[in-house]
Amino acid sequence: MTLDALRRMKVQELALPLVVVLLVVIGAVLKGTIFFSTANLWNVLLQASVAGTVAVGMTFVIATGGIDLAVGSVLAAAAIVGGHYFHGAGSAWFMAGTILAGAAAGAINGIAVAWLRIVPFVATLAMLAAARGIAQQISHQTPVGLYDLEALTRIGSQRVLGIPIPAIVFLVVVALGALVLNGTRYGRYVVAVGGNREAARIAGIRVRPIVFSVYVLVGVCTGIASVLQTGQLASASPVVGLGLELDAIAAVVIGGTSLAGGRCTMLGTFFGVLTFALIFNLLTLENVESQVQQILRGVIILGAVAVQRRGH
Amino acid sequence: MTAILEVRGLVKVFPGVTALAGVDLDVEAGEVHCLVGQNGAGKSTLIKCVSGATPPTAGTIRLLGHDLVAGRPGAALSAGVATMYQELDLVPDLSVSANIFLGHERRIGPLLARRAMRRDATELLARLGHATLDPDAQVAELRPADRQLVSMARALSRDVRLLIMDEPSAILDPPEVDALFAVVRRLTAAGVGVIYISHRLDEIARIGDRITVLRDGKTVASNLPATTSPEQLVQRMIGRSFSEVFPERSDPHGDVVLQVRRLARRPDLAETSFEVRSGEILGVGGLVGAGRTELLRAIAGLDPVDGGEVLVAGRVVPRGRPDLAVAAGIGVAPEERKSQGLWLDWDQVHNVTICDLPRLGRGPFTDAAAEHRAAAAQLRSLAVRPDDPLRLASELSGGNQQKVVLARWLLHASAVLLLDEPTRGVDVGAKADVYRVIAELAARGLAIVMVSSELAELVGFCDRILVMREGAVVAELRGGRATEEMILRHALRAEPPPEPPPESPRASP
Repeated sequence: MTLDALRRMKVQELALPLVVVLLVVIGAVLKGTIFFSTANLWNVLLQASVAGTVAVGMTFVIATGGIDLAVGSVLAAAAIVGGHYFHGAGSAWFMAGTILAGAAAGAINGIAVAWLRIVPFVATLAMLAAARGIAQQISHQTPVGLYDLEALTRIGSQRVLGIPIPAIVFLVVVALGALVLNGTRYGRYVVAVGGNREAARIAGIRVRPIVFSVYVLVGVCTGIASVLQTGQLASASPVVGLGLELDAIAAVVIGGTSLAGGRCTMLGTFFGVLTFALIFNLLTLENVESQVQQILRGVIILGAVAVQRRGH
Repeated sequence: MTAILEVRGLVKVFPGVTALAGVDLDVEAGEVHCLVGQNGAGKSTLIKCVSGATPPTAGTIRLLGHDLVAGRPGAALSAGVATMYQELDLVPDLSVSANIFLGHERRIGPLLARRAMRRDATELLARLGHATLDPDAQVAELRPADRQLVSMARALSRDVRLLIMDEPSAILDPPEVDALFAVVRRLTAAGVGVIYISHRLDEIARIGDRITVLRDGKTVASNLPATTSPEQLVQRMIGRSFSEVFPERSDPHGDVVLQVRRLARRPDLAETSFEVRSGEILGVGGLVGAGRTELLRAIAGLDPVDGGEVLVAGRVVPRGRPDLAVAAGIGVAPEERKSQGLWLDWDQVHNVTICDLPRLGRGPFTDAAAEHRAAAAQLRSLAVRPDDPLRLASELSGGNQQKVVLARWLLHASAVLLLDEPTRGVDVGAKADVYRVIAELAARGLAIVMVSSELAELVGFCDRILVMREGAVVAELRGGRATEEMILRHALRAEPPPEPPPESPRASP
């Protein structure tokens, strides 16, 4: 039985944790105590928290065979909407407004994809353009200072039991995402729709509401990530989130979720996020320039996806 | 006369199914060789092998005395084989001339020689007797008959020695059929060999020279003269080799469970009404494309309909809502089992429980143990092999995959089962097993509608049979009294049937 279960595991389910362990070992050898300090390890998670939180929602979208390219712009727009309209009402209202703005953008994407039957790539590409424009328009291209929102800045800067709060939020979101994806009826329907849309229809699953919902879900995750980001910056900026979609999608795909839909793993996404964060943490510690890191990012994504395709 | 094509002992095995089990076929220069057989007899597989689209498992194909290199469409093409498939393989957005020269465009250096292609296209169309067809017209805007012409012109644009025509007349009106035949005769006069596949048996005497009959993937008669009567052909197509043992069934018939009233979806489905009782198996026969699958999909709410209603146990099922049809107790086992019925990389448990997650879970959560228990019970009652509910659906044989789909609806306590070709892709041995399961479901009180192309299955297994043709039910036969021949006659409109109800004479569709 256990042997059977092992046999059924996909290659990358085993490979990715190994990669993470390997990276930690490399880090320990190269940088010794600097890398291996708890502070640095939590920092890795802190740096991963924004893209990681988005990647959780992205896993659901990709599980249905869709994609959301707009998350970076929506991250900025949500922060600006929150900062501009809910600033005066306090931290709680700011967070609610920001998350709601993310959800609203997701809902528009969801309607476009599910009911207007626009290809996800195109629908979210349009949102990518529009949301960035909204962010710039509302903010007049200037960041909104949020230093006075104490609770918010505390989220960005403080630690609980030594763990940065954004890292905790990310871990909680991942855990919830895994529970919903693997342990609920909704999660099963998401995978069912992504795996075989016609079979899902024949089995009486209402396909369009499911498709709609995953875009709202990634919108909510993006809103949460936006709160984490503004907390760390203590301001809402219209230019944050550039390239965020790449980080989120790359983590999901490297984690083993199939872009074709129907095959997904939240644990894989988690390890995918960790892998990326560790690699760039190491590169930064090694003083590798950020342009070079950017090039490596592309190479890693290409290589990882090529390896993943061979596994199928 | 010289032999253009010699096929000897051709075998083609797909995973789980033997499509061809030893086919011989000879085509000579200048003859029209007709190929007939039931749906699934192996005609399409045979022409795919000959045209090089599919490599055969065993056997030889000799073209003009040379062995054909298997599995290379290019090799067959350059050897002079041209194929007109049933589904026209034209690119709708391109022009007539671009389609005709697709893949072997005339060129001047690297550039397309549009004018030359246009001129040659016009000439080819003129040879087919249709000089008026504009070579610049978009194929998407042409009538079906004209598209057929383009397809044929394309076949002729190469140096063709063997032309394979798969049901070329299916979409044509009688005058267009006459024109088609004239073209075919011109080709044969020029020494081209033609393989002509048609379900319209009455055409064969008009156009054919010789006939080969396929049944169950074998050549059962060859070198028959074209004058062979449709009755004799039908006899040979059916054969007497069907040895499936159909399970004993008691006379069923409880209350009416499924009522279909004036359900229509034009042009695929004309107004259709019928009832099915609890415990009854209603067969639906007819050719591929007669509207049988469309009927099932319309009942299940999977396709929008123009009108009519569906009632389960006296309650109207809202239109166009597959989820509500499932809730009302309608279950579908689609013909495309792998692409529409199952999640192949899921285990059997998840495949079976997908409709019952609310019942088997707690709140929004799923309950793996409860799912496993419920699914395993159903899977065992249907004797799915291997007896391992965690086995992936992709690893099961066709028959067992079908049982997994049935187990789903059984667990859901469906009242009506719509089965589309339930034994398609199932090995002969496993078919009996599927019949037994279906009979058992009927005995449990389900109302079953079963679309089948296997005449023996309809006659030997169903309580009643509806025969469809061109989107309409044209006959209703009693299972015990119907013969395979009667069904085929209605389906083919070969002869005005002696029994009910007489149809319109052989006019345009």
